Formats: sequence, structure tokens, C-alpha cells
Amino acid sequence: MRKSVIMFLILLVAVAGVAVAKDKVYGKGVSEGDVTKISAIMADTDSYQGKTVRIEGTAVAICASRGCWVEISSDLEGQTLRLKVKDGEIVFPSKIVGERIAAEGVFTANHVTEENKVCSHKATQEATGYSCTTSYQVTGTGAVVSFK
Amino acid sequence: MGSFRKVCRWLHRELGFFAVGLTLVYAVSGLAVNHVHHWNPDNTSAMETWSIEAPGLGPTEEITPLVISRLALAEPPKDSWRAAEHLLHVFTRDGTVEVDLNTGGVRRERVTPRPILYDMNFMHLNKGKGVWTIVADAYAVLLTLLALSGIFLVKGRRGLAGRGGVLMGLGILLPILYAWLARG
Repeated sequence: MRKSVIMFLILLVAVAGVAVAKDKVYGKGVSEGDVTKISAIMADTDSYQGKTVRIEGTAVAICASRGCWVEISSDLEGQTLRLKVKDGEIVFPSKIVGERIAAEGVFTANHVTEENKVCSHKATQEATGYSCTTSYQVTGTGAVVSFK
Repeated sequence: MGSFRKVCRWLHRELGFFAVGLTLVYAVSGLAVNHVHHWNPDNTSAMETWSIEAPGLGPTEEITPLVISRLALAEPPKDSWRAAEHLLHVFTRDGTVEVDLNTGGVRRERVTPRPILYDMNFMHLNKGKGVWTIVADAYAVLLTLLALSGIFLVKGRRGLAGRGGVLMGLGILLPILYAWLARG
């Protein structure tokens, strides 16, 4: 009798676990393959530029009004990498903040002004006097969020 | 022509009644998402601040449980993240709690879906994809039928040959003019 009760409880916990931990696929999801650490990508940005990468982390911030980007935490404290998806094609809900996310896409570097506008030709920059910085992102094709 | 007009009237009347619900969803949500630069049409956000005893700048694995216990949240957090040496973010079901480890200052943002409007926007922007794509496509066909059948409802001076025709022309001209001007 006791054995049956224990078995039933184990089964109940397992079922509850399956019910609670729910994976939600966005876009094309994430294909099989090695996950690259965000810290490794950010330490060698030139090598990863234009390459398809799979990354993992916690969703720490999101575009509140459109859900078109998510900041994913790195394995290094304080570091993040932005996952940007095409507006309207994938829309991340605000409830994914704090959840584990795996994502896939192409690592890209954007040359932007302080106002986050795309920088034009270098000669124009010098003539107009504004400065440009490089911001990195993964242009995402898909993601999988593991809801707790 | 008489029976054709009869069919148009029947179509317009029946489909018109059926389209009321979906039209309201798309119209109300359309107004809401048109102004996405001015407000968040999906969620409301409330900010709350208070202080806890400053936890200090210790290692994350030691600081995190200390902060969580001092925050005394109603439910266990989903996760946490050290955003900077002096900042810890604690993620809850309804938002984020940001703790300044130096001062003990706490800033909590609670995000709540707007009642009804959240669901309307979800449908309008087809965030769920899948079966709603079929519904939205069918609704687009339905609107086309409503527009086309509406043209032939009235005959004479108030119809296509008169005032109705002029109004229809203006309605067609408006998007064409805008497209022409917008393209420069």
C-alpha cells in the first residue's frame, strides 16, 4: 500500500512538472547543434559576424511596445546580447522576462549613432561631426522559451 | 439587375451582422496599436519604490538569496540577474525588481495586461498565428464581399450613378493620393 502511494506521488510530481515547465516555440525555433556562449561571441565579434549562432540565457529585457527584441543575459555578469526579430513576424510577450530562452540567428554588427540611427558613409560622419558606435545583435529566425 | 441587387442586399445584411464582432475587434485595436509610439497598447506598468537593508557588493551566489529574503516577495521569483556590480534584477511573475546593492534602494515594475484590449491586439496583430490566420483571412474576404455588395444596395441618384459614386470615388482616391504623396 505504502509503495503504491509513493509511486502515485512520484507520478503526480512528474505530471505536475511536465504541466508547469512549458516550452514555447517562436518563429522557426532552434535547430539542433552546439550552443555558443555569448561571452565567446562578444570576445571575438569579427569572427562571428555574418555567422548563424545558437545562444542561450535569461530574457532580461524586452521591447515593451512591439515585442520585437529581447536582451539575453550572457554567462558573464552584466553582459547581454540583443536578439532582434522582424517586426510582427515574431512577437515576444512581456511575460518572457525572467525565463530561459534559446535563440538562433545571424550575428550582426550595426554602426549606429547615439540616437540609435544607422550611420551613413564615413565621409558624411566626419563632415557632420556625429560619432558612431557599433552595436551587436543576433538577427533572429527563431527562439524557444522555457516557461517555469 | 433586380435579382442581383436582391442577392447583394441579402449578402450585405447577413454578412454585416456576422462581421460586427470582428470589425469592433480590429477597429478598436487598430486605434490602440496605431499609437504604439505614445503608449503601450498591451500592458500597463506600475512603478513602486522602497528600501531594504543594503546587501553590499558580495559574490552573486551569496547576495542573491540575501536580497530575495530581504525583499520578502509574496511568491518565489522566476530568476535573477546581476545587471551590474551594484545592481541585481529579480524577476517575478508580473515584472522586475531592481535592487541597488550599495544603497538597498528597490524599484519594482509591475506589468499587467490591459483587460480586453490585450486580447484584441493579440488577435489584430495575429500574434498567435495558426488557426487565427485562417479566421483573419476569412474576415478579409468577408470585408471584400461587404464592400462590393454595398456598392449595389441603392440605385438612382443616391446610388452608384450619383452621390454614392462620388463618395466611392473619394474613398478610392484617398489611399491612392496618400501613396503617391508618401512615395514622394
